[in-house]
Amino acid sequence: MRSTSSPISAPLPLPDQRPRLEHLAGIRWGLIATALALTAIGLATVASATAESPIDYFSRQLVWVGLGWIAMLVAFSFNYHTLLSWSLLLYLATLVALALVLVVGYEAGGAQGWFRIGSIGIQPSEGAKLATALYLTRYLGGPADRALGLRQILAACGIAAAPMALVALEPDLGGAAMFVPMLAGMLLIAGVRARYLLTAAGAAIVLAALVWNFGMQDYQRQRVVTFLAPASDPLGAGYQVRQSKIAVGSGELTGKGYQQGTQSQLRFLPAKHTDFILAVLAEEWGFLGVAAVLALYALYLSNAVAVAARARDRAGILLVVGLVSVVAFHVLYNAAMVIGLLPITGIPLPFLSYGGSFTLLNYTILGLILGVDFRRFVNR
Amino acid sequence: MRVGEHREVLVTRLRLLSRAMAALLAALAGAFWFVQVVEGSHYRELAETNRLRKIALEAPRGAIVDRAGRTLVEDLPSYNLHLDRSRAARVAASLDFAAAILGRPRAELDLVLDRYREVAPFQPVLLAEGLSLAEVARFEVAELEHPEFDIEIAQRRLYRLGRHGAHVLGYLGEVRPEELARPRSPYRAGDLVGRRGVELAYDERLRGTAGERIVVVDSRGRPVEEFARTVGRPGDRLTLTLDADLQQEAERLLEGQVGALVALDPRDGAVRALVSVPAFDPNLFARRLAVEDWRRLVSDPFHPLQNRALQSAYSPGSVFKMVVGVAGLAEGVITPADATFCNGAATHYGRRFHCWRAGGHGWCDLERALERSCDVYFYQLGQKLGIERIARYARLFELGAPSGIDLAGEKTGLVPDAAWSERVRRHPWYPGETISVAIGQGALLTTPMQVARMVAAFANGGFLVTPHLVEGADVAPPARLPLDPALLEPIRRGLRRVVSPEGTGAAAQVRGVEIAGKTGTVQVVSHEAYQDSSQLPWEQRNHAWFVAYAPAGAPELVVVVFVEHGGQGSRAAAPIARKLYEKHFEPDLRAAAAS
Repeated sequence: MRSTSSPISAPLPLPDQRPRLEHLAGIRWGLIATALALTAIGLATVASATAESPIDYFSRQLVWVGLGWIAMLVAFSFNYHTLLSWSLLLYLATLVALALVLVVGYEAGGAQGWFRIGSIGIQPSEGAKLATALYLTRYLGGPADRALGLRQILAACGIAAAPMALVALEPDLGGAAMFVPMLAGMLLIAGVRARYLLTAAGAAIVLAALVWNFGMQDYQRQRVVTFLAPASDPLGAGYQVRQSKIAVGSGELTGKGYQQGTQSQLRFLPAKHTDFILAVLAEEWGFLGVAAVLALYALYLSNAVAVAARARDRAGILLVVGLVSVVAFHVLYNAAMVIGLLPITGIPLPFLSYGGSFTLLNYTILGLILGVDFRRFVNR
Repeated sequence: MRVGEHREVLVTRLRLLSRAMAALLAALAGAFWFVQVVEGSHYRELAETNRLRKIALEAPRGAIVDRAGRTLVEDLPSYNLHLDRSRAARVAASLDFAAAILGRPRAELDLVLDRYREVAPFQPVLLAEGLSLAEVARFEVAELEHPEFDIEIAQRRLYRLGRHGAHVLGYLGEVRPEELARPRSPYRAGDLVGRRGVELAYDERLRGTAGERIVVVDSRGRPVEEFARTVGRPGDRLTLTLDADLQQEAERLLEGQVGALVALDPRDGAVRALVSVPAFDPNLFARRLAVEDWRRLVSDPFHPLQNRALQSAYSPGSVFKMVVGVAGLAEGVITPADATFCNGAATHYGRRFHCWRAGGHGWCDLERALERSCDVYFYQLGQKLGIERIARYARLFELGAPSGIDLAGEKTGLVPDAAWSERVRRHPWYPGETISVAIGQGALLTTPMQVARMVAAFANGGFLVTPHLVEGADVAPPARLPLDPALLEPIRRGLRRVVSPEGTGAAAQVRGVEIAGKTGTVQVVSHEAYQDSSQLPWEQRNHAWFVAYAPAGAPELVVVVFVEHGGQGSRAAAPIARKLYEKHFEPDLRAAAAS
């Protein structure tokens, strides 16, 4: 790193000019292309995984994708500086929603994390991720030194900790965990001194011990135990890991063929259209299929990082980094979980897994990233 | 540049982030390569033979034995047929095949399968139980065409005495969904649990805890390796106080009748025989009762499932005179020597009450009134006592209250009084009713088991015992009645005279054994005077009672016989008691004869 760089002193100017449409051609189309490819693969795999189900998940997911596109366009159309100026309000609103859902929400999958409006369930924790990313960006996105001060770091941690704690109370540890990569990605890019990193690592170990002893439900501890010794709970979570690994492994190099996966078609696989969709894909398309999907994710993520790298300002960079970190964490964790490298928790795979709120979140993130890219020349 | 001079720094960090993500994705790809390509063939094999199957290691249910250790109920191996739907080419074809071998209608098997609709197809379904060896062989032979069938050896309950002792032992039934849904329910779907009798009352001790085996089986359902195992615990063996010989003799004696019999040890309440007829065969239930059998049992007009010794309450008839007599002595209303003249009828409260013996009994004191079962004597005593005092002494012997036996579903019966009349019937007690209650008729209702307790108290000199069927059962210990035991003596002398050539219980005499007893005949349909009811239609005939204890000097066995519409107690019930005593005292008598 260059030692010649000096502190940024110029105030952050608000854009006073609308982006020109000709810049539309210059946005990262690769992002959209990879997202579309992943979505198509996801739809096909959902169809295969639920072929025998009486519920038409494929059509439902198609509707969610359509809504996702609308969400993407809406997110894209907002100037992110406008969103940043609203971010405190959005952040506080989601905190209220997260607190409220603990009281009046209803429970699904063991966590009280849903509002029910008619027959539609809405998970405020997904919105909280976006609002927190925006507010963190606003807090860290202003003029800054090469590295953050301790007060800034602690304040940022506080900003992330509040919604995280509320989500963890539902209890949805998978959802809560998602704030960690977001915060970590943004802090690391914004700059953290080595000694803080080491201190944080030490604190994390202490915290982990505390969480294990006081913060976890029995079933969550059971999952960790099962992860470490799968035979201790053969028909519970250990069963899922075993069946998932058999599904993945038996796909071998080229797979068994579309809708030919015995593991998924014979219902050995749990949550096969949601959290374990990659196992279905791996069984039917083999290593080649998995490699192709992982390559698409690599493309998607590197395109997103490229958007960050050429963003107009520090805020744009940090916003994209925060959002990309969430997506990347989902991909990495889910893939590792499916082959038994990490304990099972409800972390789905972006663009592939079936799910309403999650599909909307991914497309909203995509819209926000593209919006940053679109406005990179504005007021330059 | 808005980011300022730091852009280069930030871009460097972004490049690092990008590389880190790429590296992690590459590492994951490597991991997938390892699982899918390097170890792929291993997993493919597992997928092809993938069947993790949970096999319950059923805990054998505890045996039930009689006081001498003779087996009454035990678990025996039985062949059960399981169907693995995931291995069937066509489930419909499999069912046709099974129905043909088992000789059962296809629709019946469809019903079984229906209950498993929500269960994953690779979880085997229990299709049929108790297959014969021939049936087993036919399934084994067809193994190649029908690999979806499995024969498993499981435990099956065998009631060795068949219908005998059915009401004591009870039977098993499949656990109900609402029982499964209860928090911390010890049951699993398909479990058989005690439904009546000892099987119900001692279910927890008898059942044990099931173990579990999780095995990896190959595509033909053969276990390849064990995945996990938990060890179960077999159920406890239960020793009853019952005497199997006595029980079977009693059952035979009551065959073809409707009624009940209780035999118990008056010293501690240990039940030696408990019969209710008609009975049912509990073995029917051990094979998950067919719908048709169940319907037949439930719709039978004689209610064979009902335990008449505990769940039916009847007027005790003249048997109740023992209580009225002791009440008279204790209240000082009579002395044993006071005599009443019986000319065959008496007038009380303006109504004519007949003695059962048209010509009357002449002068009767207490003992003679018991011996001949003179009604006029007790009409007068009843009037002197009044209903409140009669009811108080009836309750002292805990008539009209559950006996506390270690079985469920006891009826309480009824001891009527004025307060009851006002509360339940909403009209005042009529004095004439007191006269009927004094000879054990009217609204008074007792179960044969309550009567047996009452008799036991006279036999053991004033202790109320709690009947029980299981050795060392957790029941109340014998309780001393708040009565001077000396007051029981005149009654005991009277009861001894009942079973003599002069008494109404002459038919109960056993050579070499001194028996004390009391007959009872309960009018079912009201008549002007007592009459022989044997010419009436069955359902209008009198109920017959006979109660006894023996040996009279040191009682060890109380017997209560009740025959619904049997006619007179002296003819219908007393001979049954005699034969039972002969059976009970047979070893003693033979020893006496030999010496």
